Order: sequence, then C-alpha cells, then structure tokens
Amino acid sequence: MSELTFNQVDQTVLNSLKPPGKSYWALIALLFAGVLMGASCWLYQIFVGVGVAGMNNPVAWGTYLINFVFWVGIAHSGTLISAILHLFRAGWRNPIARAAETMTVFAVCTAGLFPFIHLGRAWMVYFMLPFPNQRNLWPNFQSPLMFDVVAISTYLTVSSLFWYTGMLPDLAIVRDNATGFRKKVFTVLSMGWTGRFEQWRHYTRGYLFFAALATPLVISVHSVVSWDFALGVVPGWHTTIFAPYFVAGAIHSGLAMVITLMIPLRRIFGYQQIITIHVLEAVAKTIVFTGLIVGFAYGTEFFIAWYSHNPLEQYIFAWRPTGDYAVGFWIMAICNTMIPLLYLFKKVRTNIAALFIISLVVNVGMWYERFVIIITSVARDFIPHNWGLFSPSLVEYGIMIGSFSLFFFLFCLFVKHMPAVSMTEVKEMLE
Amino acid sequence: MDRRTFLKIAGMGSVAFAAGCSPDPDRKLFSLVHAPDNMVTGQPQWYASTCRECPAGCGVIAKNREGRVIKLEGNPAHPVNQGKLCMRGQAALQGIYDPDRIRTPRIKENGRWREISYAEAEDILRRKTVAAARRGTDRVRFVSDVMGATLQELTTAALSNWNASGPVIFEPFAYESLKTANKAVFGIDGLFAYRMEDADVLVSLGADFLETWLSPVAFARQFKAMHRLNQKRKGLFLQVSPFQSLTAANADAWLACHPGSEAVVALGMIQVALDVGRADHLPYDLRSRLEKVTDPFTKERVIEQSGLTVAHYDQLAIRLFQAENPLVLGTGAAAAGTNSLATDLAANLLNLILKPETPLLDFGRRYRVETATRRPEILKLLQEMQAGQADVVLVHNANPVYALPPGADASAAFAQPKSFVISLSAFMDETAATADLILPVRLPLETWDEYGAVSGAHGIQQPAMGALTEAPSLGDLLLRTAFDAPPPANSYKEYLTGALKDHHGIFATTGWVKTFQTGGLFSQRRSAETPIDPAAIDLDFLDQVFGQITVDPNDTVFVAAPSIRLLDGRGANRTWLNEIPDSLTQVTWQSPVVMHPETAIDLGTAQGRLLALENGTARIEAPVYTWAGVAPGVMMMAAGMGHTAYGRFARNQGANPFALLPVETAPLDGGPLNSVVAPTVEDTGRSVPLAHIDGSRSQHDRKIAPSVALKDIRAGLKPTKPGLTMWDFPLTLPIPEGYDHKRDFYPPIKYEGYRWAMVVDLDRCIGCNACATACYAENNIGVVHKKHILEGREMAWLQVQRYLDDETGTRVTFLPMMCQQCDNAPCEAVCPVYAPHHNKEGINNQIYNRCIGTRFCSQNCPYHVRRFNWYTWQWPKPLNLQLNPDVTTRAKGVMEKCSFCIQRIKAAHNVAKNEKRPIRDGEVVTACMQTCPTDAISFGSLMDPESRVRKLVDDPRAYQVMGYLNAKPAVIYLKKVVQEV
Repeated sequence: MSELTFNQVDQTVLNSLKPPGKSYWALIALLFAGVLMGASCWLYQIFVGVGVAGMNNPVAWGTYLINFVFWVGIAHSGTLISAILHLFRAGWRNPIARAAETMTVFAVCTAGLFPFIHLGRAWMVYFMLPFPNQRNLWPNFQSPLMFDVVAISTYLTVSSLFWYTGMLPDLAIVRDNATGFRKKVFTVLSMGWTGRFEQWRHYTRGYLFFAALATPLVISVHSVVSWDFALGVVPGWHTTIFAPYFVAGAIHSGLAMVITLMIPLRRIFGYQQIITIHVLEAVAKTIVFTGLIVGFAYGTEFFIAWYSHNPLEQYIFAWRPTGDYAVGFWIMAICNTMIPLLYLFKKVRTNIAALFIISLVVNVGMWYERFVIIITSVARDFIPHNWGLFSPSLVEYGIMIGSFSLFFFLFCLFVKHMPAVSMTEVKEMLE
Repeated sequence: MDRRTFLKIAGMGSVAFAAGCSPDPDRKLFSLVHAPDNMVTGQPQWYASTCRECPAGCGVIAKNREGRVIKLEGNPAHPVNQGKLCMRGQAALQGIYDPDRIRTPRIKENGRWREISYAEAEDILRRKTVAAARRGTDRVRFVSDVMGATLQELTTAALSNWNASGPVIFEPFAYESLKTANKAVFGIDGLFAYRMEDADVLVSLGADFLETWLSPVAFARQFKAMHRLNQKRKGLFLQVSPFQSLTAANADAWLACHPGSEAVVALGMIQVALDVGRADHLPYDLRSRLEKVTDPFTKERVIEQSGLTVAHYDQLAIRLFQAENPLVLGTGAAAAGTNSLATDLAANLLNLILKPETPLLDFGRRYRVETATRRPEILKLLQEMQAGQADVVLVHNANPVYALPPGADASAAFAQPKSFVISLSAFMDETAATADLILPVRLPLETWDEYGAVSGAHGIQQPAMGALTEAPSLGDLLLRTAFDAPPPANSYKEYLTGALKDHHGIFATTGWVKTFQTGGLFSQRRSAETPIDPAAIDLDFLDQVFGQITVDPNDTVFVAAPSIRLLDGRGANRTWLNEIPDSLTQVTWQSPVVMHPETAIDLGTAQGRLLALENGTARIEAPVYTWAGVAPGVMMMAAGMGHTAYGRFARNQGANPFALLPVETAPLDGGPLNSVVAPTVEDTGRSVPLAHIDGSRSQHDRKIAPSVALKDIRAGLKPTKPGLTMWDFPLTLPIPEGYDHKRDFYPPIKYEGYRWAMVVDLDRCIGCNACATACYAENNIGVVHKKHILEGREMAWLQVQRYLDDETGTRVTFLPMMCQQCDNAPCEAVCPVYAPHHNKEGINNQIYNRCIGTRFCSQNCPYHVRRFNWYTWQWPKPLNLQLNPDVTTRAKGVMEKCSFCIQRIKAAHNVAKNEKRPIRDGEVVTACMQTCPTDAISFGSLMDPESRVRKLVDDPRAYQVMGYLNAKPAVIYLKKVVQEV
C-alpha cells in the first residue's frame, strides 16, 4: 500500500464514480424488481392477513423475525470496524470502514422493516410511539419490543450520522473533481468542507467522540435484541448468556458479510491495492475469534441445560441436534464454528475464493442460528400438546428475497455514486 | 386528470380503504320500531325446549337476543340432563342457521330441481297421497326419526287417512339386540333406564354410555355420581371392549377384548357365578340350563377367545363378585353384530344373578328410542319401494341413503320412479337428493311439540324465535294435507294442547304457561311394566342365542362406531362438531381408520397413510391413525363423515364406514352388523396429513396432568416440602397471600372485591368436549376448517388436551386447557402496547382494538392458549346470526383468548349492582362450566373465603400446571384419582 500516492488513492476511488455501464443498470433493475416483489408480497399479506406466512400456534414468530435479527446482526460490524477499531487504532480497518458502515446503515434499514412486516396489524404500528394522545395509550416500556424500538432507532440515527460525518472530507474531494449537476449535489452534501485546519481539528475530535459514543451501541443494540428472547420464559430463550452470545454472533455475521461485500467490490473497482489481502486477512482472523466465542456460547448453552437439571431446558437442547430441525442445527454449528476455523490457515486466508466461500457459509450459518433459536424453542416448549412445527411459506420467501434485494440495491447505488472507500483514512495509513 | 375525476378517485380510494380495513360482520344494529312488550334490547329471553339432535331428548333453554337464538343451554329443570348438554346439543343451533338450509320447496323435473312455492308443494303432496290412498292400502309410507308421542299419534292418524299403517321410525342405532335381550330376560320389549349412580362396580361390555348410548348426558352425570371421589372412596368402572371409546377411556381399566368376544367374557362370568354359588337363587331350570350353556366358557377358553389378560379376567371376576351393588351394561352400537344379542342377554342375566331384585335396573323409566323400527322392516320397506308397492314415501329427519349399507340399495329404492319420494328435510342430504319433491319442514327448535325422552320426563318444544323460513311444521303440514274437513285441530299447536289436556290433564292456560316455562312435565310417572319372573325366561331362546356365538380371534374386524361428535352422520354439517377434535385421536375434519400400531404393521401400513378398504361393492379411502387403545386386529372408524351431499361442510369430508357394512342383519334380533370381518385392505401408497391438533401424546414427565392413586388418598396425602422445581413448587394462589418476597420481584397485586378463578377437577372430566363447543358458541370463535388446522391455526379458546401414559399408551388423561388468567402473567409484560391488561378482578383482558399483532404474548405464554387471527374468519350467512352480541368478533391481525366469559361476569355485576349487593358465589357461570355434564368446572372469587373455589383449592389434589414458573395461574386443577386394577 505504501507505494500508492495520495493522488493515486483519489483517482482510484474517483474512478469508481464514473458513469456506470449497462450491466450496472441491469443489476440495479434486477434488484429493484426483487424489491418490488418483496413489497407486493407484503401488500398481499396486509390485505389477506399474516396467515399467508407459515407461522402458527405455537411458532408465532417466523422468518420475519429471523431476518430481523439476521440483518441487525449484519449491521453490527460496520460500527465495530469504524468505531471500536478506530479507538483501538487498528489501521487495517481504514480501507473497509466506509463500506462496512454503509453496510451497517442499509442493514439497519432493512432490519427495521421486518418488525413492521411481522405485525398482525402493521397499520396500527403508531400505537408503539410514546406521545400523548386522546386514546389514552402509553407504550409498555417493560416490553422488550419497546427496548427494540428505542435501541434500533438510536442505532440507526447514530450510525447514519457517524457514517455521514466520516464521509464529509471525501464528499469534498468528489465535489472538487466533479462538474455540472453532480458538482452542485456534492457541494450541498459536503457542507462547505474546505479542509482548513480548524475544520480538520473539529472533524477529528468529532469523529473520535462519535466513535466513543457509537461503541456502547455496538454492544447494546444486539444485547437488546437478544432480550426479546432472553426476557421470555421459553426454555432455550430464557438465559443470561444471550446478550454476549448475540453480540458475538452479530459481529461474526457482520464480518463475514464485510468479506462477502469487499471481495467483489475490490475486484470490480480495482481496489486491490487499497483493500489489500492483508486487510481481508485481518477480518478473517477476527472471524476466527468471533467464531470461537460463538462456539463457546453454543457449548455453554448445552452445559447449562445439563447443569440446571431443568427437564424442559434439557429436552429442548437434546431436541435441537436430533429433532425435526436437526439439519438447521448442524448447519448452524458447523458453518459458524467449524468452517471459520479454516481461516487459521494462511493459505486459506490469502485465497480470495476460499475467503469468499467461507464468508458466505458463515452468513448461511448465522441465518440458521437465528432460525434455531427462534423456531425450535417455541416449537417444543412447556405443554407437549401444543407442540408444532413451522415451515416458511412462499410469501415469506418472497419477502426474504425482497429484503436481500433491497439491501444490495441500496448498496449498489451507494458504491457507484458515493465514495465507497474513505480516501482520507486510506491516506492516513500511507504515512 | 381533471379535478372532478381526482376527487372521485380520492373519495373512492378512502372509502375503499376504510371498508377494506374494517371487520365486516354485521356492523349495523337496527332497533325495532314496535318492539314486542317483553323484548328489552340487551336482555336475553329464554325459551325452554327440547334438544332433538339425538333420541336422548335433553331439555334446553334457548337464549334469544333481539329476536334470534344465539345459544342453547341445558334446562336445569329437565330430569334427563339437569342443565347440561353434550357437544351435539351445543351445536344444534348451527342446524337452524346452516347456510345450506333449504328455504323453499323444490321439485325434481328431468333430474333438475325447480323451486316452487309452499302452497304448490303442499298441493302436490295432497294430490299424490290422495291418489296413492285410492289405489290401495299401505301405498303411502312415512319414514321418520324418533318422534314425540303426540306427533307420532298425528302422523299415524294422517297415515290412516291415507289408507296406510303407522310410520317407520328409522334410527341407524336402534338397540335391537338390547331390546331383544330385555324382552328375553325381563319380559320388557323395550329400553329401560339404569340407576348407575347407585352402583359401586360398573362393568360395561361395550356400551358407550358417555357418548351416544341411550342418554349420554344423563349417564355422564350418573357415572360421575358413582365414580367421583367421595369420602376417600370411589366407584370402580371396568370396560370390556375391542377399542377404547371415550367411555372406555374413562374406565379404571380397559379390558381389551377381541370384537364379539364380550359375550364370551360375560358367559365366563356367569360360569364363575354358577361355580361360586352366586346363582343359587335362580330357578333350578334356568340355573341348570345356564350351567349347560356356559359350560364351554371356561377361563382358558374365555381368555383364548377374547384375548383378555389373565390378570384382567381375574380382576373382573373378583371385583364383580365382591361388589355390593354391581351393574353390568350390555354392548353398544359399535359392537352390533351376530354376538351382540348374546352379550346383552348375558349382561342382563349377570345383573339378575348378581342382584336378584335388580335394584339398579329402572324398569319403570323407558327410553323413547325403543319405538325405533328394527332394521329388517326398514329393509322390507326398501324392497316394497323397489317392487312398486309404495306410491308415496315421505321422509322426515332420516337419512337412510347415507346410513344404510350399500347392499340395501337405498339410493336406488328412493330414486326409482315408481315411488314419489317427498323429503321433508331442511337439508339437502343424501336422501333428499334422491327425492322427487323436497318440502322442508321446521326444525325442532322452531316448532311447538312435545317429546318424552324417558318416562316421566315429557319435554316440550316451543319456537325459540321467529321462523327463518316459511316452512310449516310437520304437524301443521299433516293437519292441512292429510285430513278432509274438519281436521282434528286447526293448527298443530292446538292439537298439541288437546293432547296434553287428554294425556297429562293440563287444562287451564296457567298450567300451559307453567309447563312451557319449565320446559315440560316432569312428573315421576313411570311405565307400569314390571319384569317377569325368572322362571318364565324362555330357556330354549337362551340356548339358541348362546349356541351361535362365533368368535375367531384371528379375524381382523372392521367396526363402524357411533361418534360423540356426529352420531350417525346427522351432525356432519355443523362446523363446530367437525372443528372440535375427536377426544381420543384429536383429529378434526377427518375420519381416520383407527388401529393398533401392530395391526398397522401387519397390514403393511402406518399412521398417516391412506388406506383403501374394499368389500366388493364399495370402496372407501381413509387415513390410518394408530394408537394402543385399540385391540390388535381391529379397525375402528367413527361414523358420520363421508357425505356425498348434506351441505358444504359435510360434503366430501372423510369417508363413510357404513359403506363397508353388509346389508344382512343379525338373525335373532334384526340388528345391523356394525362389526364385521374386515374388508380387503390395501395401502394406497399415498400419505395424508392428519388434521390432529396434538403435538405430542405424552406428558414427557412434566407436571401437566398428574394423577394420584386412590390408595394414597386413602392413606392420606402428606404435604411435601416445598421447593423451586417443577415437582415440588408449592401451590401459589393468584392473590396477595400467594406473594413470597423471596420469589417475587414485583409487589403483590391488590384486587378489589373479587379475584376470579377456576377449579377444574380432572377426576370428574370425562373429555367429552361439551365445554369446548359451548365456548365456541358463547365466544364467537372462528372456525378455520381442515386446511388451517393442518397449519396449526385452530382458534379454540378451550381445548381438552389428551395425554396417554408412557408405559402402555392406553391410559388416558384429559386436561381442559384454557387461559390460566395468571396473576403474574408472562403475556402482559411483553406486549408493547398493553393489549393484555390485568384488571382489578384478576382477569387478563385482551383488548382487541389495542392489539397490533406482535404475537409476543403467545410466544411467552407457557400454556400457548392465546389464539391469533391469522385471517378474518368467516361466518357464511346466516351462521352469523348465531353470533353472541355481547362478544366482539375479532378481525385479522389480533390476538384473542379465553376471557373467563367476561361478558357473563359483567352481566352478574350489573344485576348485583342493581340489587345493591356483591356478586354471590356461584352467580357467575361460565359457558364451559354451565354445560359440563359432570360438573368438573367450578368458578368463583378467591377473595371470598367462603367461595366454592376457595374451598376447593385446599384439596390436597390441587395443583397448577407448570406452577413452578410462578406465573400464579388462576386455573387450579385437581389431580385425577386413579385406581389400579
């Protein structure tokens, strides 16, 4: 990296903002079609009823909440990379910080849709807003779902502001190199950034404080999401390890998603010299670490189930690896804890194809982790007469595809129209 | 787009949006311009009447709100059911409001129906009958179900005007063998009652008296009177039968036997009685003849032929002969076959031997169903129709085309052109479909009539609301069409008054009004017949009956059993009866072939596989259901499904087991053969998802429906040391005294005046599902049909859960499960919008219009009793008229659950407030409690130290399901008491 000049960095990034070709627009159109499909599935569900999804009694939460937790999890590592690693002065985060933060913002947006989709009466969602009203209603702040509302909206606000603040100097660079209409747009977006000394001084201080502010959120958001389950009485949910377990899992999945996104990005835009293999390696090493934490959490759950002498707890943990959803459990266990261990080998870490495939595998595994937690626990809880199974319906698949389309749609729009690599921060590394 | 178009579209859009998002059931309330004097909006009117869903004839009171009947409850004054109803009685209203009910007469012309007016139809009826009467005697025939005496008298008179003899009373389950046996042993050609409540040991040789046998609601009450825990004692009930019906499931021991071998077991017992000298009081001739006929039935032979275990045989003998007041019941309709007469005869003889004075047989009280015609005469009628000897056949409330075996060729007999068939049915059932003219008459709840179900209990019927159709009542129709001027009365009501005057001496109007207010004439009038001297028993007949017992234990036997849900098929168009699962299999909307797992293996099939059963003339397909509650080698199918007509809910649901039965009848009693050597069976290779609602049959060693041994209760239950685990967590009452600072995080909830709670005695619960049906009727619960049951979306607020023991898989425990109204409710804490709301009387209210549908409450409810409206469920018109106006109908997207019948609590509050007093204990009666035939459910306030529930929770059997979660449920169960046999 050190052989790059400042100008080369600028040019590489600015090149990515050149008018896109047909294949780009074809991709955008395809993704938009996916979004429309998801939206029409949702519309259909609103008109007919949530029955069009596969949920039932006892499994009243299905893929909507799996996807919610999945996307919130994805949203995690962006802030981890940009804030926590910034505080730790981990230099390797600089080239990927922007893309990871972008991922965070769009993943939170996608995640934020799912609670609405999940609701039986989505049109009544404003009942959850705490404002004085003639209905004499006040939300129940004892409910973990209210925690969610607060945590997710805070996280979205802070991460978007952090993302935008970090982008300011880069937006100015784009402005300086743009002409015509784009110049006007970026003039507004860059908010009069001139690069004067005071501006830099305020900026670096502000960025540092933001990083410090955002850091607890990384921990809190997914802890709060985990309380949706941990505060319930359901065996398999009601456990104190859930908060750290969810946070580790979220980072695990988020880092995997970073690799999934960075590899095509560096290839398409020729970022090989900026997002070097060392950067990816560093991410891969972190994945090994988070994978071990996740594996430890899985083990702890089983240990506690055995140690607790609670027959229900023991039953559910015996059932998960052997029962109707055993496939899901083993996908989760193998993909999240075993396969990432391959990253221990330098050969695997430095092989782009291997990196990419393993990151996809971890994403799948983490989706299944949420599946296992959300579905299996209630499928076999207290009263055996009530037991039942769940399988997703076509509408749910449609909405799931729609959510992935939405995320990639937003992400693709971003990388082609905004600087996806932080030029300033990459330059910081060059010294 | 111009401005006007925009406004139009905008206006339409908002209207469409508003309409699209609101629940549609009946939003308009009209008040009457001239309301009847006694109608007060919001106040129900109650009309006493009689349930005619089966011949048992329980008394009902029909709740009429603003001109329409919305609920049936048992008539407390009626001696048969004493205020209780079974599930069929609860669902009777769905017949009145059936969306496929025929509203206008129709005539078949060239194979197609043409609607005509009632006047035209009556005219055709008159012309056809007069013409037939002119052609000769008995050319007009009348087929009906069991009728009240008055109506039957009128029908007979009408038929004699038509130059014909009396009506043919068709009941698919007509107790032919029992009648013959009663005649043979006691000289009573009929069906008498039993004083079951006085028995200490009850043995049933297959009689399903808790489901359909004679008078199930009355028997349920009598049975629990002898079988309840009383002074640490409890009667014993043993059932010998080839499969577990609900009745057998309530037995202390189910003695599995091979089909048809009940007779062998009974004869074996007679032999034992003779051996031990219990029969010495019998006349010498009878005794010696019995010795002769029972000689082959040694213990070894009985065990070999019946498949009883030695232990069961010994216990049966010991318990029976040690009993002070033993009662032996015969067999049920499911066992009707060549041996059923022998079984019933042997049962009667056993009663005679055990207690020569037969104190438990109530000869003076006779069941009306005894008037049913025996099967051979019905088959003869069909032959006469085929032979062209019946010009006009009227069919009233009977469906022989469905209920007779295909060999009887009833459909051809009814369809052939020589007979002009007039169906008086209000439904397009199979028989009506073959008729030439359909002239619907009113249903029992819409007519004036009288029905004496049993001697001394003359229930009356009166219209519980204005007529929904213009249909005449059968009585009026006959008076108008069958009599030349002057008819015996101007209207049937007048005729009925006359009859009551003649037969029961009711003269003054006050007597009339009183009779109709109480629901009937409940005198202690009894039939005068007394049993014959045992010396007069025809001994050769005994020889003949017992000589022809044939049992081949190696046969695979197919059994068509009457069903508590659909009886003989007449309940099949009631959605509740289909939706509420069979108590034992928990299957809804389907008619599985039930068999032992080993039998399934022998037949090369398995649970959920579609089995084809074929007997040469007919073929039916039904899914397999396996459990150990069926003796190996038996295939049992409940009757009632497999209709090819009978409206949208009945048509093409399940299969009809009658199709596989032979047309032949038992030679000596004329009964049908409902138990036959199995037809050819073939696994179709296809699988059918079974619409059962249970997730597991086992309790998985959890404290859900525990039982306690009678011997432990006798020894005295010792209090256990309280702990914090599932098994030793103490009973924690949902009132401030249940607060424990070591366990509770939040301070105790203070209640104002009342804390409603329910106590369910599992020892009394027989699993009949009457409560669940009453709940559907009271609380406007949506019916989701098979498709959504398979998806796990049933809406029942109250489910009677069924658990099998882990060792044998044959011992059944029922657990009515509804919202537990917890003090420390897990659902309340997790709702973001406070839709589950804890009120000041402890009830966990679900506020529907606050609910946004997060479903967190359902996830967090350990009992999973919350029901989510996945769709807006439909009530096809006019079923919506049954909806209870005191209960909101719920639209898609909201959660609902048992409310402890909050509307009834509120009603009690209003009454108490008007009278300036607190609500009395027992004043609030929930719908489930109201109908429970065994009084298993009690309801009241725990804050009242004198209340019934407060006293019941002190019972050492009291426990809370999953109490260790410390949710402090307000539904407290009393453990089932089991006795080892």
